[in-house]
Amino acid sequence: MTHATPRSRSAIAAHPIISTVIAVLVVADIFFALYVPIYARVTPKLGDFPFFYWYLLIYMPLTSLVLWIAMQLQKRLGTPAGEGEGVQ
Amino acid sequence: MSHVNATTFTIVVVLFVIVTGVGFIAARWRRAENMMHLDEWGLGGRGFGTFITWFLLGGDLYTAYTFIAVPALVFGSGSIGFYAVAYTIVVFPIVLIFLPRLWSVSRVHGYVTPADFIRGRYGSRGLALASAFTGILALMPYIALQLVGIDAVIQVMGVGTSSSNTFVKDLPLIIAFLVLAIFTYVSGLRAPALIAFIKDTLIYVFVLVAVFYIPTRLGGWSSIFHVTQTHFATISPATKKPLGSFVPPSGSIGSTRLDFASLALGSAVALFLYPHAITGTLAAKRRNVIKRNMIYLPLYSVLLALIALFGYMAIADPVTAANVKKTGNAQLAVPYLFQHMFPSWFTGIAFAGIIIGALVPAAIMSIAAANLFTRNIFVEFFKQDASPALQTRMSQWASLVVKLGALLFAVELPHTFSINLQLLGGIWILQLAPMLIGGLFTRWFHRWALLTGWAAGMIFGTIAAYKVANPTTSHWAGSSDIEFGHSIYIGLSAVILNLVIVLILTPVLKAVRAPEGADETLPHQYTADPDEAPVRTPATV
Repeated sequence: MTHATPRSRSAIAAHPIISTVIAVLVVADIFFALYVPIYARVTPKLGDFPFFYWYLLIYMPLTSLVLWIAMQLQKRLGTPAGEGEGVQ
Repeated sequence: MSHVNATTFTIVVVLFVIVTGVGFIAARWRRAENMMHLDEWGLGGRGFGTFITWFLLGGDLYTAYTFIAVPALVFGSGSIGFYAVAYTIVVFPIVLIFLPRLWSVSRVHGYVTPADFIRGRYGSRGLALASAFTGILALMPYIALQLVGIDAVIQVMGVGTSSSNTFVKDLPLIIAFLVLAIFTYVSGLRAPALIAFIKDTLIYVFVLVAVFYIPTRLGGWSSIFHVTQTHFATISPATKKPLGSFVPPSGSIGSTRLDFASLALGSAVALFLYPHAITGTLAAKRRNVIKRNMIYLPLYSVLLALIALFGYMAIADPVTAANVKKTGNAQLAVPYLFQHMFPSWFTGIAFAGIIIGALVPAAIMSIAAANLFTRNIFVEFFKQDASPALQTRMSQWASLVVKLGALLFAVELPHTFSINLQLLGGIWILQLAPMLIGGLFTRWFHRWALLTGWAAGMIFGTIAAYKVANPTTSHWAGSSDIEFGHSIYIGLSAVILNLVIVLILTPVLKAVRAPEGADETLPHQYTADPDEAPVRTPATV
């Protein structure tokens, strides 16, 4: 939790922009779920759902999407395992 | 309560018998030549793909905690219960950071338990023993929570409660418990993996039906939220405070935003430190199976949020609310809600789903605890040359002992909010974070510093949890206490203390050249993706 994303230094060095984007995506995904003051409110409502509740509900499919994008980007880092410099 | 609905009861019994049969047949599923090996009994042959892993991890993660404990907290206290939703959101990005590394290094070295990894990484039997002990201890209240969940359904069905004899009263629970114990003994991890399919199908059906149908009976979502908001704003005559909160309040003491966030973060980090979650992970065939699952598993979380809202439906339905109030047991909120809202046959399906949904994780948890005992305590300290067959036999027996320990927790600890059983386990298991998560990224931490930090966190966390009191219970009444004037989850404050000690002691121990222990892992092994599981038995390496 207190550590950087688990890619080897060389992969990060080779793709600094993609690596940064992945890190930002994952960190933002964690931050906006844990920073409660953003969503501890009743309005604006979505349909009958107060803000607090629909924010959390919509967040889940969003997390799936964000992690999917992060994984697609990881593949671009160039190794079949998706991350790191591979075994051999 | 004494009235037993025949239709509901019959359906529950029939589904239970089917599941028991599947549990025994599972021993033949994906059968290996030699089943008396821990990779087989304990990890289902280490060959599960994305699909089975999804069901297995889902079966691990969404348990009686989801169906009984979370709605109970939501029913009793309101928005604070939704920390569980935030927790199941952040768990996936957090886990994506470290779990693939654990899978890889465990695959290369043939580790079956998290303590195997600790031993290999730090060359420290003491640290491995500490982590094994913590894992087994933390799993007991979590398994106990499953039993409390099963008990809640049985109570609402009205089975057994009419007798004053303790044994007769608890007979249905004991039967469920025995069946669980026996099919776990026989089939190992294959049983819960196969049953998870049935369980999830049942659960998806009744949750989706309930989510769309029940609000139509209660005047729609706007009415449910309206009644709830009014209810929680009511001032309790006993405490002179509102009954609960509709959204987490600002302020520093109580069910605040910080408390909410600390519970969510603590639970999320804790989840994949639990031996059973790691067991489910290590049973996966390939590294990408783990990653893909972190994308698909949030689908379960949507379900969790909807299930949490059942707590509000129970408030909005006067009959259910009155029933729960009469028993004074918030755990009964969901079972009573279903019983009142659904025709009896559908209630039977839902009840069976909850019971099976508690049995599956209880089986996986006891297998994980048993593996820990066998490999990291029995083999390590008592019989280094134990054959794979003896190890398997040992695990089978240990799984029974662990379940009995869980039964003790279920009986001894207060049930006001059974969610505290899971949070108590979380306080303990979180103390493994520095050595386990830390160890996946760096070998800088000194093993003795980790051991000291762990001990401090365990002692602090246990005492703090013991001291939590509320008007009705004097001990173990909650999982948050006040640190520096703010309510916060004890697990989180304990692991921060743990980490601070590790950070201070490590440079000191390095300065005096305390022996570091040998590291049998290599950096590239943390990203490896080997096709074949290793053949050797590494407990004796």
